Amino acid sequence: MKRGLWLVLLAPAAQACELPGGPAEKLQSAAHTILYRAAPAVRVGEHFALELAVCPTPDGLRVDAWMPEHRHGMNYRPSLKALGGGRYRAEGLLFHMPGRWEFMFELRAGGATERFAHAVRVE
Amino acid sequence: MRRALVLLLAAIAPAALAFTEAEQRAIAAHGPWPPAFVPDPSNRASGRPEAIELGERLFFERRLSANGEHSCSRCHLPERNWTDGEARALGLERVERNTPSLNNVRLQRWFGWDGAHDSLWAQSIRPLLDARELGMSAAQVAALVRADADLSCRYRRVFGSVPAVDEELLVGVGKALAAFQETLVSGRTAFDEFRDALVKGDAAGIAAYPQAAKRGLGIFAGKGSCNVCHLGPAFTNGEFHDTGIPFFIEKGRVDPGRHAGIQKLRASPFNLLGLYNDDAKRSTATGTRHVRLEHRNFGEFRTPSLRNLALSAPYMHNGRLASLRDVVNHYSTISPDRLHADGEAILRPLQLSERGTLDLVAFLETLSDGGGRYARKRFAMDCR
Repeated sequence: MKRGLWLVLLAPAAQACELPGGPAEKLQSAAHTILYRAAPAVRVGEHFALELAVCPTPDGLRVDAWMPEHRHGMNYRPSLKALGGGRYRAEGLLFHMPGRWEFMFELRAGGATERFAHAVRVE
Repeated sequence: MRRALVLLLAAIAPAALAFTEAEQRAIAAHGPWPPAFVPDPSNRASGRPEAIELGERLFFERRLSANGEHSCSRCHLPERNWTDGEARALGLERVERNTPSLNNVRLQRWFGWDGAHDSLWAQSIRPLLDARELGMSAAQVAALVRADADLSCRYRRVFGSVPAVDEELLVGVGKALAAFQETLVSGRTAFDEFRDALVKGDAAGIAAYPQAAKRGLGIFAGKGSCNVCHLGPAFTNGEFHDTGIPFFIEKGRVDPGRHAGIQKLRASPFNLLGLYNDDAKRSTATGTRHVRLEHRNFGEFRTPSLRNLALSAPYMHNGRLASLRDVVNHYSTISPDRLHADGEAILRPLQLSERGTLDLVAFLETLSDGGGRYARKRFAMDCR
């Protein structure tokens, strides 16, 4: 019964994870939810940024991307700005080739590290 | 109406069907051409007629060299597609790299084979100060402009005044040179006519493109995946790769390419993070701020544009390959084991047949406009 009560209490917090401003991709684990969108939309050879919301707010976040089939990453290291309340903005990303890329999000919370990957295809 | 549409599709189908839908989208992405002019926010002289005029004069100005005999046009000859036909450039001395064409140079993100500069105006300063190219100093460039009534008058027209600080004046010279080079755009080609016909569904236009070039384009955008790096209207992703060309210069000397280029970029007082960027918001400096230096950058060189390729032999960063056929043969037989790419898996040998080689060369030749679009001028010294 005590375990069931904890789940009920946690549910509203998970639902409250929002990224205002339009549709966003959603990645979820037992511990965290990540919402993200590219701004401007991803186009090969053009810099873009990611707007993110992470719930609950982690101790640390790292954002990167790579092409698994080509076994290389981006030629640019994104910079990350914490905006408060679990909101972030990653800048300086650029996909220099068409094909399948994978965003990588690394969260640090409570001494543990959790990794998320999300594939996107760009032409 | 529907019957007419069906007839149209049936008419273009045999030619268009040679390409998959994905290949057709990739081909369409190589246009339209020419692209619209967009001024460079980092250069307040960009696109201004008086700056273009000053830059053109400076480009051909022999007094901008230590021996008074060379100018930018020593290596960038308009009659040779703004390059020189040499394997490695010869300024005051022979250097290690091939002279890149200046056609469409304004479309680049990085400049030079190693991308050591992040703007066309900063890149234009580099050969002026290189002891082996034009061999000038900022003080010598400034003295020339201040002493020459016509040049100083034109400089004032562009920038308002002639600066007392040599380096500041030098940057103005670089920005005027860049304004001129921004006007160098290659013309439309047989490929552009085909690409536009494909987009419009113009059967006659599609049929007019040579069959060998169509087959070569099929290799380029299909099995060869050449368009993974040579993409977009300028046929380049503007980034850096190790393509298996040896980077040994001579015994004990190597050309580190992009690895040294990033370090030079960061150290340059003329980079877009510095005080000479006219873009107050520094939105132009995103790449410079975020560029990543990695071990794999060693031996990487910038992906060149393929436009007017047939007019810019010899090829590769050190001019090692004499002909387009040599370039195709290189990619046909490349050994991935010899690449210095830290596990990167992009290049594989194309293993082309003789006919495939000729077809790919035939396609690459259709990316050229034939040249001869620039006529040298006699400059009047009439600015007072």
